[in-house]
Amino acid sequence: MSAEEPLQTAKQSSGLLQRIEHWIPKVVVAPTFIMMLVFIYGYIIWTGVLSATNSRFLPSYDFVGGLQYEKLFENPRWETAYTNLALFGGLFIAICLFIGVTLAILLDQKIRREGVLRTIYLYPMALSFIVTGTAWKWMLNPGLGLEKLVQDMGFENFSFDWIVDPDMAIYTLVIAAVWQSSGFVMAMFLAGLRGIDNSIIQAAQMDGASMPRIYWRIIVPCLRPVFFSAFIILSHIAIKSFDLVMAMTGGGPGYATDLPATFMYAHSFTRSSIGLGAASAMLMLGGVLAILIPYLYSELRGTRNG
Amino acid sequence: MAALEIDNVRKVFGGKTEVLKGINISIENGEFLILVGPSGCGKSTLMNSIAGLESITDGQIRIGGEDVSGRSPKDRDIAMVFQSYALYPSMNVRDNIAFGLEMRKVPKEDRLNEVNRVAKMLQIEHLLDRKPSQLSGGQRQRVAMGRALARKPKIYLFDEPLSNLDAKLRVEMRTEIKKLHQNLGTTIVYVTHDQIEAMTLADRIAVMKDGIVQQFGTPQEIYDEPANIFVAGFMGSPAMNFIPAPIQKEQGQLVAKVTTAGGQTYSLPLGKRGENLEKYEGRKVILGVRPERISEVNITEVEREDVVVVKTKTEIVEPTGPDTLIHITLNGVEVGCRVAPDSAVKAGEDMEFMVDLSKAVFFDSETEARI
Amino acid sequence: MVNHHMAQRTWGFWINRGIIHALLISAALFYLLPLVVMLLTSFKTMDDIRAGNLISFPAEFVIEPWIKAWSSACTGVKCEGVGSYFFNSVQIVVPAVLISTALGAINGYVLTKWRFRGSELFFGLLLFGCFIPFQVVLLPMAQTLGWLGIANTTTGLVLVHVAYGVAFTTLFFRNFYVNIPSELVKAAQLDGAGFFKIFWRILLPISGPIIVVTIIWQTTQIWNDFLFGVVYGSGETQPITVALNNLVNTSTGVKEYNVHMAAAIIAGLPTLLVYVLAGKYFVRGLTAGSVKG
Repeated sequence: MSAEEPLQTAKQSSGLLQRIEHWIPKVVVAPTFIMMLVFIYGYIIWTGVLSATNSRFLPSYDFVGGLQYEKLFENPRWETAYTNLALFGGLFIAICLFIGVTLAILLDQKIRREGVLRTIYLYPMALSFIVTGTAWKWMLNPGLGLEKLVQDMGFENFSFDWIVDPDMAIYTLVIAAVWQSSGFVMAMFLAGLRGIDNSIIQAAQMDGASMPRIYWRIIVPCLRPVFFSAFIILSHIAIKSFDLVMAMTGGGPGYATDLPATFMYAHSFTRSSIGLGAASAMLMLGGVLAILIPYLYSELRGTRNG
Repeated sequence: MAALEIDNVRKVFGGKTEVLKGINISIENGEFLILVGPSGCGKSTLMNSIAGLESITDGQIRIGGEDVSGRSPKDRDIAMVFQSYALYPSMNVRDNIAFGLEMRKVPKEDRLNEVNRVAKMLQIEHLLDRKPSQLSGGQRQRVAMGRALARKPKIYLFDEPLSNLDAKLRVEMRTEIKKLHQNLGTTIVYVTHDQIEAMTLADRIAVMKDGIVQQFGTPQEIYDEPANIFVAGFMGSPAMNFIPAPIQKEQGQLVAKVTTAGGQTYSLPLGKRGENLEKYEGRKVILGVRPERISEVNITEVEREDVVVVKTKTEIVEPTGPDTLIHITLNGVEVGCRVAPDSAVKAGEDMEFMVDLSKAVFFDSETEARI
Repeated sequence: MVNHHMAQRTWGFWINRGIIHALLISAALFYLLPLVVMLLTSFKTMDDIRAGNLISFPAEFVIEPWIKAWSSACTGVKCEGVGSYFFNSVQIVVPAVLISTALGAINGYVLTKWRFRGSELFFGLLLFGCFIPFQVVLLPMAQTLGWLGIANTTTGLVLVHVAYGVAFTTLFFRNFYVNIPSELVKAAQLDGAGFFKIFWRILLPISGPIIVVTIIWQTTQIWNDFLFGVVYGSGETQPITVALNNLVNTSTGVKEYNVHMAAAIIAGLPTLLVYVLAGKYFVRGLTAGSVKG
């Protein structure tokens, strides 16, 4: 080594400076940590506390135990809300998965204009549910919407008034929600398909399998993790569904299309029964956890197994 | 003066896993130290501890006589070349090399001079404006070395720097590093799992396993006088043969008995190496013979008294070009022999081998330490 | 793909292709229809709307619905169009996106390159924040905003969006930085760079893609938010989604569908534009944001 002075200054940081350096990372994440503790966990506990009080227009702290939950389950509107959620969620998830996987497979057949089609399928995901709801509310308008379009095409007796029919309105929500989210599911499946090793398909072809059989027996089973993730995301969207209902039906006719999210909003902010609203919110959280915890459990186990 | 002293260093992870179990190593200024061992032996942890990237639980690390154990990496006056090169992707080669100087507030002009000096030395002047992503593996390697050289630290640390290169380039760069070390007289600590790199580059080798230095010495010492079976088996390729053999006394001389697959028994004289084996008479030891010491019969050497000719069936014959490896069986274990290609026979045929015991070593079959 | 090009190009092959294309194109029409209908309707007069049908072409193109939607349509009590609410949304989105992205970046950096005891637990707890239904925090947050004196202000909404967006942004950056070799940070440490220098000089310059993904994701999320907007905003400070909903659902009198559609397009335009301009990053964000790393 040359004898000249080393280029760097040999100054050493003092013990104090080193200790500060040691603390910097923790100090930097502290704001987020505090926000998380307060705004997520603190508030969940707070809501839990509220759900055990008789709060009405304003939060009060007269504890009534599980009374609000009892009231909730005696409330026919809540019953409608969660049955609706089961119906809406089930259909929404099933149809989205079906359309998603079908479109993805069709699109994976070396289609020349794939990019354009993909863009078209996916753009609704960029829109707000309010915009989607507004558009579909208009499309489904009895009298001026699709009904009239089909009548103009020569089917004079065609009638399509689901959006104002208490028994059918919930299905209009499914249509709009599927329109918005199925393209995204398609994108997930397409990514999954592209991730499958091509040599598996080639090997199956050598074995003499036909393309539909290859898809059904080999490729779709490979997409199991995607089905799983898509299911989680879609059920998450379904449970949180609020905007779409507000924009399309406002929960009506009557409260025929109420979902837990709109129930919670209505009771907390317009019907002055905060206690009941809080109880419904806690049950929504419970619903999410019931889906999420098995998912996370299997995910974690999966990563541990390699 | 000792450039680097590692004094009884221990490292415990999470209060239970002991990764370094009291390491003692000391090297002089200008020496090339190689830490070698299988993965998980603690060599990388030791290197990171020298760099200050990991703290040590116990003991002391001194660089140039100063205790640096508690200091942060930047205050230890060391530079490191990483296995992945760790070139800063957003900076061009010039800025990569100058970054360390910039952080140490060296004036811009001096930085540029230094970059140019290093670039010239490593012949990467034409690459200075490129981004790391535009460089080949070998070029990245040079830049990584340049970055270390520009800093002129007391010690250079190399963490498996050649393992991402293809075989041909690896040999080239190996020579290059050796040349650099000879020309600059730098002190280098170099981690590798490749025993050929260790043999070719090092002034001193520390062979590690399970967080313990198994042997610390010059390459030749480690090759010829391995401290135990692990070191003997790890250094050298193809590996040393380990033949369990009973020691007996014949005509006042200690011999090791070996039996071929065909049932023929030979007595191998221990010669002067056998002096320490008196108390093993009648017991089994592990006889260590390197493959190059079992070769075709050579008339000029066959007369020596520590040479024995053994005739047996060849099992597998593997030509490598310069010589041919032949597998035979002695005392029930597979034994590799290195013979000249011209004298190799076909697999399955009998052949005469000359076993040269002048460099043979013996290990206690229980402790596995060399006797 | 053995013989794919020779043997299979029979009649059967072409019929197959025909069916596939027909299905794909009808799906495309399904997705496009609402957008086309919205556009057509927004350029029609109300008489034209009543006379024609959803996909009939406007008898004459009129721009009035757009002008009315922007500046004079009634959104509840007021009749000033959605224009001012559009700017409310901008006022909420810009600071909220910038702050949450910055926090996410530095958090991701710490959680991957400066792990400390408990940092994994911290990340796990934070990740959970991506999944909670926001209904469970609505009531306490309303009260807190009141105490802080920022209820019914855009500042309040910025705070809310930062608080609940930072879990996502942290997730994005963490998953990006976890694939950046830690040796880069070690090398920079040996070169003498400290915590912030390493972040600023080494990591941030290579974070371009993930910054774009995060900004796009956050922009879409916050722009499209309705729940927080309707609960914590009121009157003057509401974001555009709330104004649009009011326009469509609470206005009395004759429903002006052309104005509704124009307003809906105005509300959807910014995110649609982001999607068209940076679709690749948009999709990447969707996948990253929903499929946990």
